[in-house]
Amino acid sequence: MSDHRQRRILLVDDDPSLLVVLAEQLSDDGFEVATARDGQEAVRRLEAGWPDLIVLDLMMPRIDGLALAHQIKSGADLPIIVLSAIDTADSKARLLDEVAEDYVTKPYHYPELRARIERVLSRLGDRIPRQSLVLGPNLTLDLRRRAATVAGTEVQLTPTESRLLGALAANLGEVVGTDTLLSRGWAETEEAEPSYVWVSMRRLRQKIEVDPDRPVHLLTARGLGYKLVECRDDG
Amino acid sequence: MAEQRPDPMVTGLPSEPGPIPDGASDPDGSSAPAPRLEDAWQAVEDAIANSQAAARADFVARAEAIPAPDTDPADTDAAAATVNAPAAVPQPAARPHIASPIDSPAAALAHRGQATAAPSPVRVGIGLSFRAVLTGTLMIAAVAPIAVVGGVVMLAELYSDAAVMGTLLIAAIVGAAFFGLLAAAVAGSTLTTPLRRITVAVERVAAGEASPPIHVSGDDELARLAESHNRIAAEAARRNRELAALLVAVAGYNPADGLDPLAVRAETDACGIFGLIDCLILPQDPDEAPPEEAVPGLPLPVRAAVKAGGETLGLLSGHLPATRAWERADQDLLDLFASEVGVALRNAQLFGQIERQNARLVELDAAKDEFLRGVSHNLQTPLTSIRAYVDQLRSSSPEAAADRRLQIVAEQSDRLTRLVRQLLTMTRLEAGVLRPEAEVMAIGQRVRKTWEALNATGVVFQMHDASRGWLAVGDPDQVDQVLWALLDNAVKYGGRDGKVEVEILPDEARGLLDVTIVDHGPGVSETDRDRLFSRFTRGETHTSGDGTGLGLYVSRQLLLTMGGELRLEPAQRGLGAAFTASLPGEPPGDEG
Repeated sequence: MSDHRQRRILLVDDDPSLLVVLAEQLSDDGFEVATARDGQEAVRRLEAGWPDLIVLDLMMPRIDGLALAHQIKSGADLPIIVLSAIDTADSKARLLDEVAEDYVTKPYHYPELRARIERVLSRLGDRIPRQSLVLGPNLTLDLRRRAATVAGTEVQLTPTESRLLGALAANLGEVVGTDTLLSRGWAETEEAEPSYVWVSMRRLRQKIEVDPDRPVHLLTARGLGYKLVECRDDG
Repeated sequence: MAEQRPDPMVTGLPSEPGPIPDGASDPDGSSAPAPRLEDAWQAVEDAIANSQAAARADFVARAEAIPAPDTDPADTDAAAATVNAPAAVPQPAARPHIASPIDSPAAALAHRGQATAAPSPVRVGIGLSFRAVLTGTLMIAAVAPIAVVGGVVMLAELYSDAAVMGTLLIAAIVGAAFFGLLAAAVAGSTLTTPLRRITVAVERVAAGEASPPIHVSGDDELARLAESHNRIAAEAARRNRELAALLVAVAGYNPADGLDPLAVRAETDACGIFGLIDCLILPQDPDEAPPEEAVPGLPLPVRAAVKAGGETLGLLSGHLPATRAWERADQDLLDLFASEVGVALRNAQLFGQIERQNARLVELDAAKDEFLRGVSHNLQTPLTSIRAYVDQLRSSSPEAAADRRLQIVAEQSDRLTRLVRQLLTMTRLEAGVLRPEAEVMAIGQRVRKTWEALNATGVVFQMHDASRGWLAVGDPDQVDQVLWALLDNAVKYGGRDGKVEVEILPDEARGLLDVTIVDHGPGVSETDRDRLFSRFTRGETHTSGDGTGLGLYVSRQLLLTMGGELRLEPAQRGLGAAFTASLPGEPPGDEG
């Protein structure tokens, strides 16, 4: 695991025993790990130097994890993975979409957590637009909110769909390979197959294209992958 | 209601005596532009359509019972006419009134200006009074022939010629008879024409239509009859307008507006509709408040009980200009209005209560959410540590990795985690706050992983994946929960050295992907079948007693929420229980 080039991770959790074991696990896998037991400590650590990624518990005493996430994001666009006992079905988990790149519920399985960390770090180069991205009169993407506005109507995107569109939007107008999309959309542990990408693209067209049979934004480059393009023509 | 086009004759209706408080009471707006009339008519229709059925029935009953006696104090002996109110509400005269903005004196003035230019009333008769014409005609018809005959006889005596006299006499008798018949015919025609017209007009009013005023000269019975008719027609038209205004006002009362604003609005409306100088709705029992005394020359006090159902909510009391008359029909209208206001106020009260209750429920919901979050956090945090340390221990050496004890700790902490999550999921399902994502996944792979996580040593597992590239659509976390519960059950009830078989098959016609999980246990007994999917149910044959009894219930609810279903297959000889979990499926994709 030497190819991690000592990427730095800041762990923020109020459970010290967990901090110890998780830090050891990540160090064993070649990450440089700093820990913080609460929000104030996290802020102090951040002042000392920015990590590549933050793993944050949402429910901590003394500081609200969500507030901290907002605080961090307002300072720098650091990727955040929320590691929390709040499961994805919780209403509060919805609030994470704007601040968290990914979400892992406690108790975590270390291989899965590591796979998600890898996935988030691998798409660091993708500049996911913070504001809404207008691709034409009939399509506006608002990936921070996991939403798209299609012909005036807002549709919700799933986390995976949002990640796939993020990868495509980061390379607007260029073909993104199916393998790249697979690694952006799904963690390694999910053992996704290319058909996941194909079916997801078909479903995405149903969602974001006015006429899914004649797509104007989400195009196939046969044998290569997919591309997202602007289309100013509303006809 | 095509007959409801504006009738120019209607605009000739004289205004009522007394002040017109505002545009709402303007009776003469029929010549307003057509779109406004249409709007107004629409408003009336809407008003009627919007009223509750009960209120409408009440209204019809009351409106039909409203008599419309002449309100002119100078002519109180006029015949009372019953106005067929429901039929009369949509009459043209009522429409412009609705169209007039209630608080727009300018519009009222405009309407009145137009009214003066409107066609004049129907004229009946020849300018002389009916009695004079009758007397004159009788005189001419009775007296003239006698005079003529007398004259002829005198002439005959002058000439003393029998032959001439006989001829003259005959001519005179014939002439007199002819003249008499002529006079009678003229008189008859002159006299019946006004009677006929009055009859027609009265019939129109009786049928609920608007009638133009009839003008009859003189000061006799016929003229008084026509005047009475005119007044009745005008009164009927005015009450119809009031009724329409009342309906519109009542239809606009929204319980969400709140009690006090509604009461204030009703007071303003009462002034507008009935032409009151002032109006107050007091939270007071009408029986305990003595009625104000009416003093001639001073504003006339009027009042009505504000009721909702059988309960009296308060008292509506106001004053009418001293020049205005107040008849029983007006009081009936005011009573109707007051009871409608009562219903609206009661609704507002109830609405407020429900709002407060809702707010409390939302608070409670949030508190429950917070509580569950806390429970989840406090249970899962230690489990997280246990699990993490076990993992670390097991990866520390080959001996530790093979240690059965560590494996059991890991498994049991996983189980505990699953059960806590199941409880949380159930609570969310019941609160209806669970919104699963719709992601694609190969279901066979999920089944296999879940089976591996169960680590059911000694149980044979066979999977036949015939999905042929079909992907399931669901929330991965929730699908895992379902599969874990079903496979865990299959192990639990399938006997110690059992066998679990899984078959995956797309149901192409329904667009579903079916996962059937079969165990080789005793199956589900008939008594268990019916209550299998309810909460806290465990099979009679259970051996271990662990589990929350929520597995099947939560699984089924989760699948339903994700657009799938869970069913128990009919029992088969030699096999145990067979459950089929269906999820929405996506046919195999290609790059296209």
